[in-house]
Amino acid sequence: MMAKMVSLTIDGKPVEVPEGTLVVNAAKKVGVDIPVFCYHPKMEPVGMCRMCLVEIGRPVIDRASGQPLREEDGSLKIQFGPKLETACTTPVSEGMVVLGATEKVKAGREDILEFLLTSHPLDCPICDKGGECPLQNLTMGFGPGESRYLYDDKKHLAKHVPLGELIYLDRERCIQCGRCVRFQELIADDPVIAFSQRGRSLEIVSYSEPGFDSYWSGNTTDICPVGALTTADFRFRARPWELKAAASICNHCPVGCNLTLNVRREAVSGGKWVLKRVMPRQNEAVNEIWICDKGRLGYHFGAQNAERLEKPLVRKNGELQPATWQEALELVTERFQSVGRGLITLASGRLSNEDLFNLGKLTRSLGGKSILYSSMAGGDLTTQIGFAPGTNFADMGKESAILVVGSDLEEEAPLWWLRVRQAAKRGATLIVLNARQTKLDRDAHYSLRFPFGTAAAAVLALVNTLSPKRPELPESIQELARSSELKAAAKAFAEAKDAAILFGGDGMGLAETQALAQACANLLLITDHFGRPNNGLLGVWPRANDQGAWELGWQPSMNLPADLAQAQALYIVAADPVSDDPAYLNAFDGQKFVVVQDLYLSQTARLADVVFPAQAWTEREGSYTSGERRVQRYYPALQPNAALPPRVESPGSRRAQVLTGLRAELDGPQADFAIPAFLAEKLGYEGFVHASASLVFARLAAEAPSFGGLSYQKLAEVHEQWPIVGRSDLYYGGTTYENTQGLGVQLPLAQGGASLLSWPQVADFKLPKLGGIAFPITRLYDRGATLMHSQLLHKRIGEPYIILSKQEASRLKISQGGFVRITFTDAERSVVVQAKVDEGLPERVVLAPRSFGLPISGPTPVELKPAG
Amino acid sequence: MSKEKPPYILLRHRDIPDLDNLEVYRQNGGFKAFEKVVTQMEPAAVTEVVKASGLRGRGGAGFPTGLKWSFIDNKSWPHYVVANADESEPGTFKDREIMEGNPYQFLEGVAICAYAVQANVAYIYLRGEFWNLAASLDQHIAALEAAGLLGENLFGSKYSLRLYTHLGAGAYICGEETALLESLEGKLGQPRLRPPFPPSYGLYGKPTIVNNVETLANVPLIIERGAEWYRSMGTEKSPGVKIFSLSGCVNKPGNYELPLGTTFRELIFEHGGGIPGGRNIKAIMAAGASSSLIVADERALDTPMDYESVPSVGAQLGSASVIVIDDSVSIPWLIDKTTHFFRHESCGKCTPCREGTFWMSHLTERIANGRARREDVELLYDVASQIRGKCLCALGEFSIEAVLSGIERFRSDFDVAVGEVQTAAHVEQVPASD
Amino acid sequence: MSFVKDTLDGVKATFTGLATTFREMVRPPVTIQYPEEKRPVRPRFKGRHVLKRYDNGLEKCIGCSLCSAACPADAIFVESAENTDDERYSPGERYARVYEINMLRCIFCGYCEDACPTEAIVLGDNYELSFTDRRSSIYTKEFLIEPVPEGGKATPQKVEPGIYTRSVPAMKDPED
Repeated sequence: MMAKMVSLTIDGKPVEVPEGTLVVNAAKKVGVDIPVFCYHPKMEPVGMCRMCLVEIGRPVIDRASGQPLREEDGSLKIQFGPKLETACTTPVSEGMVVLGATEKVKAGREDILEFLLTSHPLDCPICDKGGECPLQNLTMGFGPGESRYLYDDKKHLAKHVPLGELIYLDRERCIQCGRCVRFQELIADDPVIAFSQRGRSLEIVSYSEPGFDSYWSGNTTDICPVGALTTADFRFRARPWELKAAASICNHCPVGCNLTLNVRREAVSGGKWVLKRVMPRQNEAVNEIWICDKGRLGYHFGAQNAERLEKPLVRKNGELQPATWQEALELVTERFQSVGRGLITLASGRLSNEDLFNLGKLTRSLGGKSILYSSMAGGDLTTQIGFAPGTNFADMGKESAILVVGSDLEEEAPLWWLRVRQAAKRGATLIVLNARQTKLDRDAHYSLRFPFGTAAAAVLALVNTLSPKRPELPESIQELARSSELKAAAKAFAEAKDAAILFGGDGMGLAETQALAQACANLLLITDHFGRPNNGLLGVWPRANDQGAWELGWQPSMNLPADLAQAQALYIVAADPVSDDPAYLNAFDGQKFVVVQDLYLSQTARLADVVFPAQAWTEREGSYTSGERRVQRYYPALQPNAALPPRVESPGSRRAQVLTGLRAELDGPQADFAIPAFLAEKLGYEGFVHASASLVFARLAAEAPSFGGLSYQKLAEVHEQWPIVGRSDLYYGGTTYENTQGLGVQLPLAQGGASLLSWPQVADFKLPKLGGIAFPITRLYDRGATLMHSQLLHKRIGEPYIILSKQEASRLKISQGGFVRITFTDAERSVVVQAKVDEGLPERVVLAPRSFGLPISGPTPVELKPAG
Repeated sequence: MSKEKPPYILLRHRDIPDLDNLEVYRQNGGFKAFEKVVTQMEPAAVTEVVKASGLRGRGGAGFPTGLKWSFIDNKSWPHYVVANADESEPGTFKDREIMEGNPYQFLEGVAICAYAVQANVAYIYLRGEFWNLAASLDQHIAALEAAGLLGENLFGSKYSLRLYTHLGAGAYICGEETALLESLEGKLGQPRLRPPFPPSYGLYGKPTIVNNVETLANVPLIIERGAEWYRSMGTEKSPGVKIFSLSGCVNKPGNYELPLGTTFRELIFEHGGGIPGGRNIKAIMAAGASSSLIVADERALDTPMDYESVPSVGAQLGSASVIVIDDSVSIPWLIDKTTHFFRHESCGKCTPCREGTFWMSHLTERIANGRARREDVELLYDVASQIRGKCLCALGEFSIEAVLSGIERFRSDFDVAVGEVQTAAHVEQVPASD
Repeated sequence: MSFVKDTLDGVKATFTGLATTFREMVRPPVTIQYPEEKRPVRPRFKGRHVLKRYDNGLEKCIGCSLCSAACPADAIFVESAENTDDERYSPGERYARVYEINMLRCIFCGYCEDACPTEAIVLGDNYELSFTDRRSSIYTKEFLIEPVPEGGKATPQKVEPGIYTRSVPAMKDPED
């Protein structure tokens, strides 16, 4: 569908843009800057700030003939309006002439800026926005040299207004452009801030509890054209021009948001490079220009702090004691060699592709078994019928359908929630199929509920309305299966030109997600929605690189505690099973040799024989494969403690050969890919590299089929993106960083396709008559190790809690916020937690958030008692 | 030159006692017009009659009413009708009298308009201070429903109509139709970007007709007596009668229902009884605080008050709230009042109005209090000119009318104001009043 | 003849030369006995920096880093932090937690002084800048800041809330 093109001239430059384009955007396309404050290319125009005033002329049309009139010289007769017009609200029209540099326009801009500055405090020297401030830049570019306003007439307002504990408002600096309010309403769908009062008393307020209660609040500080909104995290920590920038990828969730890490040396940290803030980096196919607050504020675990492991630890006389790398590596080499096939390597998707490649290869060489530490299965399907190259949520609209099943998407992968929502706003049919209400339901065309525990059956019910094969459905799903809404949803899904499914693990464990993934795959296969762009299956994985792990052949184990218990040696990397579930404690019986490789001394690491200190993702290079199967590079921002800076060498060079030889002076944390390579070298295996991530990636690309042909150079390629953002266009898109270091590459699909169709057995799921079943749910802010280092978020994270039904609460005589003792009957473990009551929850259902210290990995029988 | 007073058209309660009683109103032909349109006329035909009558919006802009109705977007449903009873222009008090004395004629007008655009719901948006009026209108609406004149299947047709009153929170800006709609939706009262205009995108994004109370009150009689009858009054381009709210330095302030085209002289000296104490008339504000100051010379006094003639003396008829200013009034004092009004009432949405009215109020305060220099008058003129043509809605544009015309036409008053001080008290701090 | 003339010329030349010597013997010396004696500096002399305080003892420096940005030699390092009314260093919200000047780098151009929005950094009269190792060339805030004036209090101060809300004071334009 090609939009009609319209030609016009802007400051003498001819432009051809699609019909409906706003003048300000058309100007941007040809490099003419029309200054704006309230307009933002991601939002509808409001025309409030009046900064974008330009002269607009239109061809004069003869009323009688309908033809444009011409001047004597044959050129079109152009009529200019008496007033300046706002370029941000005016759509282009054929033959339009826009003048953005005439005296009248210049005077108009000066006038508006003089007005804005009459109420501005001009405290740029202490303003965090100073240096990257649109008001500052536009004043320099278009403003009057001096103000005629009397300083004494200035209205003084509060400068330190916490809108919540995360975002501060400076009322004096606010120019009432309303970008933040509109962002929260239109994009974040959390209208928790608004204007109050009127005229010069207009102010931004938040009435939510906690204040500014949104996962998206940080983005308002990016698009604020002045320093009115600042994050508590970065407040007064540095001036923008003093910061160095390193491109990175967020590693909190499978979206893979592109980030820029801003670092600076800090005197109070002894002159070390310190992470000062995390900013979004534009990638219109991934995160556009947004990031969630977890990504923005939850980076502190990757910073250097006193709790980080600095030296290898080796158990001597029952105590973990610091040791040299040489000693630790030799001990591990020796023990792994003797164990051989008895080795189990357990690693999580927090690791990069390179790490998982080297770890997997080492384990294979030893004859051991690699297990992915994950609460979700189905990656074998997403590697084959996942998102094909060229898939982009931004391209999904009127002719697409999106099914979100078993996922509280905003909590699990916030940016996907945002982009799915926008696809729905563009006209994509959104089907939300969940056991409980989620925020995405607000935008769903079909909002369907299945009884807890029957996610796969619910998807099969969709399949049933379309497929002649008609798999048998359990009793409890029949009511949903017969509903006309489900039938209509299935029809819409099948008939859509493009269709995608996002499946998550809400209320599910490994076995349940396995069945769900297969059911989803079947739906895609029978409706022929796979193998081409904007179609396929997307796993809402718990970790950033779970998809990469699957692509590299890693799989979770259906019976992990037993597997671990049977192993003779364990190599646990970036995983902490013991604090997730004490059931794993059985595996640590003192008989087997346990190696843990992590950033911190986790509960699991405390039980290890050897602990390797690993580098955080901020300190090294690497790549993640996002859920959308996009391989993206991240770059080092900080220097690892005491370690030599990573060097890039071409393979085979003399120096590379020297570097691959183990250095005696190895010190401090090492990259996760390097440690297994050191071990491999000691074990005498060929083909391992530890010198740099790019060399490991080169091997990976050679050996892993789906990564074939990729290189770090390819991952670093960029092309122009719309809207244009970046350092010289701050007033337009905000302070989000321009992407100059790589948009990443989507992996081709693995072979498989239609042969994948198989019908999972779905047993009926009935809630018990007594007791209850706890279903795990995911909260964005959890008490996991990756977030608890961010002190600022502690209030938002809160204390451990469970969610009860109204009936359960009244039976236990517990009100909202009361304490309850929850006993996990299988794990024989009980915890006292706070109870929240959800009126919509069915009886006997208990929701238990993951990573809150509750031993829950799937639906688990529990007993509840009130606790003092 | 006293003429016989023709019967009232809008202020009929002055002729007929107890017209706010539904029985009395019906005895005087009330709701015949509504019954006629619902039972005998196509909606478009109603619009045609109003168009033919030449009725123009009485809220201030003078936009042809029938034309506005014909703009309603018939591709999008439902439609709404909103009666703008936010009467907040300083010096305007005509709608209030209609709603107090002759409420049923107004409500019938709303009903006819609703039928003409096929709206099944109409809202009456009243300014916050009209809480007692809202209560009495609610009673009148209840009476209409009880009498079967509002509700489902009116007069046996398929047409249904409900009326609701809504109280604003007391903001001048909510008299602007799009700000009114925002406020009616429960949002902050700030004007919307136009286009789209309400007839295509109005209340809740649906086609909406917003009309002033006085405009709607004209409609029943136009339907009843025909467009030609209406055109027989007033001027050719501004037919009909208008209620002129007369106030200021005049002996008999009040509402005067007169044909459009009546001269200022007739209104002020014949009906209004002239200037108290026999003082000289100095200036006229024809449209409340939004008005330019008209120099009240002989030519101006003989200017007919209609939408076409008033601009010839450098002003607009607007809502026809005529404020008379005699030679005892200092113009700087006057514009200090108007700028403070606009500063207080600016919604703050667009920059020039929010910042400009704030700035102007500081300058006028200094000038009016004799603490200014000549340069401050120049600056005030500059600031006002800077606002011109840049605002989102008319409030900001109107806030400068009195200032610019005051400085241009009554410069000597400003010279007196700044000349009274010998030393430059320019930097003396002015306490902010809020 | 020529011998006598030569002799007389010689004697004359000798005395002409010595005349300067004798004249200078009775003139006061142009050198001074540094370091016992110090030469006064010109009003616009640019010597070692001083960080100024207000009369009440609060620091003028607000940690804005503009001096550092203006410095052509990259000699200044500033790290800021937030003031509270319980621990107030400077008026307004921001103060310099760390302020360092590397005197080996400084070229005494005075751009920092020009850039300062609060007239906090001033190039003073002190030109005695000797040190014996590189580390000592980094002058810290404790070293650069002037003593608390009489009647003022040392920083951090505990102050009443709501008084010091402005970081940048209203200042008159320079006279010349």
